[in-house]
Amino acid sequence: MVSQGIPEETGYIIFLFASTLALVITLRLVISPRDPKPTPEKKAPFESGQIATGPGRTRFIIQYYPYLLMFVVYDVIAMFLFAWALDLRALGASGTIPVLTFMVVALVPLAYALHLAGQRENW
Amino acid sequence: MPDPISQIIQLVTSTYFLEIVVFPGLISIAILGALFTWFERKLTARVQLRIGPLYSSPVGGILQGFADIIKLLFKELIIPEGADRFFFIMSPVTALIIGAALLGLIPFAPGIQIANVEVGLPAFLAIVTLSPTLVLLAGWSANSKFPFIGGLRALFQQTAYEIPLWLSALGVVMITGTLSLTAIVQYQQNNGWLIIPQALGAILFIVTSTAEMERLPFDLPEAESEIMMGWQAEYPGPLFMLVQGPAFIKLYAFAALFSTLYLGGYLGPAIIPPIVWFFGKTIVIIVAIMLFRSTFPRVRLDQLLHQGWTTLLTLSIVNIVIAYFVVVGVPVI
Repeated sequence: MVSQGIPEETGYIIFLFASTLALVITLRLVISPRDPKPTPEKKAPFESGQIATGPGRTRFIIQYYPYLLMFVVYDVIAMFLFAWALDLRALGASGTIPVLTFMVVALVPLAYALHLAGQRENW
Repeated sequence: MPDPISQIIQLVTSTYFLEIVVFPGLISIAILGALFTWFERKLTARVQLRIGPLYSSPVGGILQGFADIIKLLFKELIIPEGADRFFFIMSPVTALIIGAALLGLIPFAPGIQIANVEVGLPAFLAIVTLSPTLVLLAGWSANSKFPFIGGLRALFQQTAYEIPLWLSALGVVMITGTLSLTAIVQYQQNNGWLIIPQALGAILFIVTSTAEMERLPFDLPEAESEIMMGWQAEYPGPLFMLVQGPAFIKLYAFAALFSTLYLGGYLGPAIIPPIVWFFGKTIVIIVAIMLFRSTFPRVRLDQLLHQGWTTLLTLSIVNIVIAYFVVVGVPVI
């Protein structure tokens, strides 16, 4: 079980390798049939039946940008809780005060960030 | 020195090789993926008072998924003008590998598990985190507007559900004190199913994992009626098959993870073998998630973002507090 860690992980790498290999073979079979002379219409990007205009990778207005910034910060912060959760049985109530402090320090700025994210005119 | 042929035969007939290739590995994943496609179409059809797939076999069109695979495989491969070919082809392939890697971590029955890693739960969630990035890459590489909008939506949607997903799984880690999926099942053998102390966490987990799978009501990146299949719009037949495959593999993997975390995995009275228990629980979850599709309307992106950062996050913190009191005990003042 857990004590035999190395063979399991080797096996996992073999598993990933085998799945990659199977896919490459599938793709090799799949990609072979080709149209030698595709017309421009065939290769045109889809735009609801209209003739495509302008570049495909245009710039969009990102009105939800603050959520991305919050995610970059709080996704990492949330991971720290896993370290505490794993040892919760051993720590018991003695770890409560540091974790509570940590949560308050993390969540008060989050509330302010949410308040700012709600104001669309700032972005 | 043993001859190479007998070595190959020994390798092919070894249990571990069979686990990787046949069950719970690649072949069973492909077959179950095709069956789930049929099952979802049939179930949705029954809900909407239609008949669904009918003609591909004597029994209710059960071979429709396989017929679709064969049909899509022999379609012409058209890559749109100006697309980044490498990322356009590699992102669905990588998504399929990610889906297969998820199932390698699940304990299907005692001893039937491809990789019993000690950090199974965070490994699963970390691998699945890669998929919105691949969606963005696929949408960007197609050089077309609808796929790009779909990719950006996937990116924003991830910010809404990712943290509640991890925090709802945190409750299980707090109660069991381990990250290994096998050890979580063993804990439930001694202490009962975790859905009882973690009911709120289980609901949060199924909601956030539906958002992770980009299924209705959270299928914003591929909303057919809004942005024309979104990031999948430009994919031609064979690659479209590779795009659709991971969706069903992820559904299978998340249902398997849910039954492992909250419903005791393969545990159950010994009259029925463990593997049957496992698949029974998994299929119940799959049916539930498929019924969401025919029940709920699609949410808007700003609604999802706002609710994800307020309601879901608050509820997942409440769930952590519940798990804390389950472990430490309610203090007597």
